[in-house]
Amino acid sequence: MQWVPEYRDDINRVERFNAVARITHWGHTVTFILCLFTGLVLFCDGMDWLATIFGGYAGAGLVHRIAAVLLTLFIAFFVLFDFKGIISWVKDLLRFGMNDIIFVMKFPLDFLGLPVKMPPQTRFNGGEKGNSMLTPTCVIFLVLSGYIMWFPAIFPAGLVRVAYPTHDIAMVFATFMVCMHGYLGSFHPGSGESFWGMWKGTVREDWAKHHHPIWYEEAYGEKADAEKE
Amino acid sequence: MARKTNLYDVSKCIACRACQVACKDWNQLPAVIEPFKGNYQTHKDTNGDTYTIVKFIEHEDDPAADVQWNFLKYQCMHCFEPACMDVCPRKCIYINDWGAVLKDYDNCIGCQYCSYACPFHIPKYRKRQDIVTKCTLCYERVEEGLTPACVRTCPTDALQFGDRDELMQYAEERVKFLRVNGFPNATIYGKFELGGLNMLYVLTDSPDKFDLPVDPKVPGQIPFWQNWVQPYLGWLIPLALLGSATSFVTTRILANKHGEHGEGGHE
Ligand code: HEM
Ligand code: HEM
Ligand code: SF4
Ligand code: SF4
Repeated sequence: MQWVPEYRDDINRVERFNAVARITHWGHTVTFILCLFTGLVLFCDGMDWLATIFGGYAGAGLVHRIAAVLLTLFIAFFVLFDFKGIISWVKDLLRFGMNDIIFVMKFPLDFLGLPVKMPPQTRFNGGEKGNSMLTPTCVIFLVLSGYIMWFPAIFPAGLVRVAYPTHDIAMVFATFMVCMHGYLGSFHPGSGESFWGMWKGTVREDWAKHHHPIWYEEAYGEKADAEKE
Repeated sequence: MARKTNLYDVSKCIACRACQVACKDWNQLPAVIEPFKGNYQTHKDTNGDTYTIVKFIEHEDDPAADVQWNFLKYQCMHCFEPACMDVCPRKCIYINDWGAVLKDYDNCIGCQYCSYACPFHIPKYRKRQDIVTKCTLCYERVEEGLTPACVRTCPTDALQFGDRDELMQYAEERVKFLRVNGFPNATIYGKFELGGLNMLYVLTDSPDKFDLPVDPKVPGQIPFWQNWVQPYLGWLIPLALLGSATSFVTTRILANKHGEHGEGGHE
């Protein structure tokens, strides 16, 4: 059985994510998952076995805080070194239109593997746009509420009490998205190719044409070539 | 076992703070010196090394009269339904068989949830040990047949310890007496508040004159968090995993049926 689609360098490839985006993405993936597992030991009952992996509950708390600081640093790194990338990302999200709505509505069928015809997509498809809005928002809430919970004495007590449910709600929604997202960005046969975009930076040209025709046309199509010259 | 309660009768308190010192002494807590703030109260609030304080509350209700001073011994109320116990993720807070709310410090991770869930914000962080501490109702002493250190020390018997029902009767008599002797607003605190407190107060005036919440409530965010978010919302995560696993299987079955995806994706 095939897991991730095979990486093919015999087929023409185009760049999808630059090094800063990729370092940030895998950086926050690892730190997010560390925070998640060390946080779940408190969120769920009967997680002693998981806490043991981190050297007990005190150890889990320490790992949670170290990972949290690194997560914050990765976000700062992204903002500092690829601010332009973030702006163009946000601009693409603002292009949310009819094609995205149809994509999201038809997506459940595609998700299960039924053949569907999707309207042309920009750099990020409807689902990725949704993910790009919801997950980072949740992560920002996690970071803000997290520091409030870490240093409650310097914040008003009312804010600390709001931070507790906020941290958990943001954790659940972010993790819900990440479960689907991690799967779609790797083992899903249709979109799995995007994994290489995030891992090596490039995706197959034919895949890009097929999945993100508007983006492909604008970035690598004839018009874009003409503009470059 | 019947509840054993601490009773504090403010009408007998002379604010000598012997209880505060006795508490430090028995629990071997280091002194915490706070700067002078212009009144006689030593500490603004309880802290990680100070389980009980005597508050000095000033009132100027009647401009003709002098400043009115209200004293209040302040510490953990040993609630019948402690919010601190509900939120503790390490389940290290428990109620013993005579009603003291206690902590098992071995399991405490210093997360401070209990501190902010408490309607009185009583438990406090002790940095040097990374734990959150509070009054223990001197349970070790009580189990040896003694009374709590503060009660033992109190020179005016403003503090009394014993069977809750007996002390409740006594408190009711005291309130009756005070009401006809110049304190018409005298009241008991701890009988009904928060479903009952294992610390009873005889107050000479309404609770707000003693810096106590008149109708104390666990802050709303805490039950929302504990009763809704924690037990139910988390199920979305296994749902997402299940969805992904389903897709993993069906995409591969359907791929066999419809033939492999064309080069680069669908069709
Ligand atoms: C800057 C980022 C973060 C900071 C500063 C932070 C801080 C904290 C703190 C101080 C606690 C209290 C428990 C303790 O003292 O160990 C906590 C709990 C928790 N954190 Fe975080 N955190 C962050 C990010 C995250 C992320 C990314 C996740 C998950 C995806 C997460 C999930 C949790 C969970 C599930 C709990 C337990 C909550 C409960 O007891 O119900 N945290 N966090
Ligand atoms: C679990 C492992 C993960 C895998 C395999 C994975 C994979 C990917 C891939 C392949 C992309 C590029 C998609 C595209 O071509 O547009 C991507 C984008 C993205 N990832 Fe992840 N990711 C993972 C975890 C995470 C985590 C933990 C977060 C955040 C907390 C995250 C946030 C994002 C965001 C915001 C994007 C851009 C929007 C999108 O394309 O959906 N990812 N990820
Ligand atoms: S007063 Fe606060 S710390 Fe004491 S038992 Fe009640 S909730 Fe817990
Ligand atoms: S600080 Fe300790 S006692 Fe308080 S809720 Fe956290 S683990 Fe429980």
